[in-house]
Amino acid sequence: MSSVEFTHKMSAHCESGTLAALLNHKGLPITEQMIFGISGAFFFAYLDTKQFTFPQFVVRSQPGDMRVHIEKRLGMKLVKEKFTDPVNALANTDDLLNRGIPHAVQVDMFYMEYIPKYMKAHFNGHFITVVGKEGNNYLVSDGYYPSIVTLSSEAMEMGRFAKGSLAPKGFTFYPESVKSASDIDWKKQIYAGIKQVVFNMTKIPIPFLGVKGIRKFANEVTKWHLKTRDIDHLSHEITTIHIILEERGTGGAGFRFMYASFLQEASKLINNPALSDMSKKMMENGDNWREISLFVARISKNRELDAGKMNELKNMILARADWEETFFKELGKIVK
Amino acid sequence: MKETDAKVDYNSHQLLLYVEKNNGDYGPFQTGSYLTKNYVDDFWDKQNKFVLDARKKLVDGQISPIRYFMLLIDISEAELATRIGISVKEVRKHQDLAHFDRISVALLRKYAAIFDVPLADFFQIPVVSDNGLLCKHEKTMNPFFTMASIVEEKK
Repeated sequence: MSSVEFTHKMSAHCESGTLAALLNHKGLPITEQMIFGISGAFFFAYLDTKQFTFPQFVVRSQPGDMRVHIEKRLGMKLVKEKFTDPVNALANTDDLLNRGIPHAVQVDMFYMEYIPKYMKAHFNGHFITVVGKEGNNYLVSDGYYPSIVTLSSEAMEMGRFAKGSLAPKGFTFYPESVKSASDIDWKKQIYAGIKQVVFNMTKIPIPFLGVKGIRKFANEVTKWHLKTRDIDHLSHEITTIHIILEERGTGGAGFRFMYASFLQEASKLINNPALSDMSKKMMENGDNWREISLFVARISKNRELDAGKMNELKNMILARADWEETFFKELGKIVK
Repeated sequence: MKETDAKVDYNSHQLLLYVEKNNGDYGPFQTGSYLTKNYVDDFWDKQNKFVLDARKKLVDGQISPIRYFMLLIDISEAELATRIGISVKEVRKHQDLAHFDRISVALLRKYAAIFDVPLADFFQIPVVSDNGLLCKHEKTMNPFFTMASIVEEKK
């Protein structure tokens, strides 16, 4: 048996939560929302590819991007390793635990035994922190759960060596060294994160990314009935909008509430009242996205999925796209 | 969102939302899942109907067990092909009952790992008479062999 002294905390999102927990453990006090904001992870993409059985949208940057940007912007050194042999990967994990080092691993969520059946889905971009081992089971800090959970060695191996999109390849990381908070140029890094989001949301000339992606989503959702088997299938896919926005690790409203929290904390940290005003606006925007979430949950359950309701949904989403385009342009001017 | 609006009393599925606290600060707030509390019954209704429909197609010989499990875990041909390490064309063939008996046991084991089912489930659906019970396969040291027992279903 081995276990590391580690403070487990729930987080809204797995990657930002894992990074925040590991940095705090290493001695840099930082919140999840600051990780999210500084890494510039706020994003929108509408994806209709053969990799999915149905069109999807994502509300954050690609898994792994947060880590890359945080490492660079906060000037820390991460130890990162990939493996080809599961035996070596698990031996490395055991060795790190024996040395008292909690470490993040990338896994396919599907094999996490503690996840309820209705939430099981193959997704290779999930991050957890390994903090101990008891017999054949690992003790895992998964930010989506209120307390430490256990995972068998077999499930750990399956999760870390799943193939497919974003295959983890046994990936693990932990901070070797971090700067002290006073050595970080917070204003510069906060602005860098914001500029990245402003660019991603308003300037990428690709029709399914950023606010253009939100508009595409709004227009496409009215055609979803043509892609579904029956009314129950359509209801299921419309419910998924709520899941992506509220339940799949966003902190609510597709990260809008978390981003508002970031702007508020950033405003106080670098003494910039303009960011505080923007945080209030973003919170209101989040409330409007939340209205969309509640609306889709209701019409799905009641099977009110006629053209009228779908148009209503389309218009609600389009209004968010227009609003966010204006918002991010204004935010861009503040950090120029 | 105000903290009071975010509060959902549902212990079995907790999550973290970011809210406006009473003092005006924004930050994390642990609460229950609104969707699971209010809509999980509808989810199970839809899912059960869907599974029964897929099962009918399977027992009627319209689809292969590969297609059946693909439907159940909602995985695309492209993603499955990448995970198995074969072409999309081959995955397409394996969904056809006529080609199912040409799949090697080694390949079936790869499919089974992705569907997270024992090999035996490609050839049978254990039916138990009482609701809330299911047939659970326990792995053994023999990768081709499982021990089946009837247990209470955990959702």
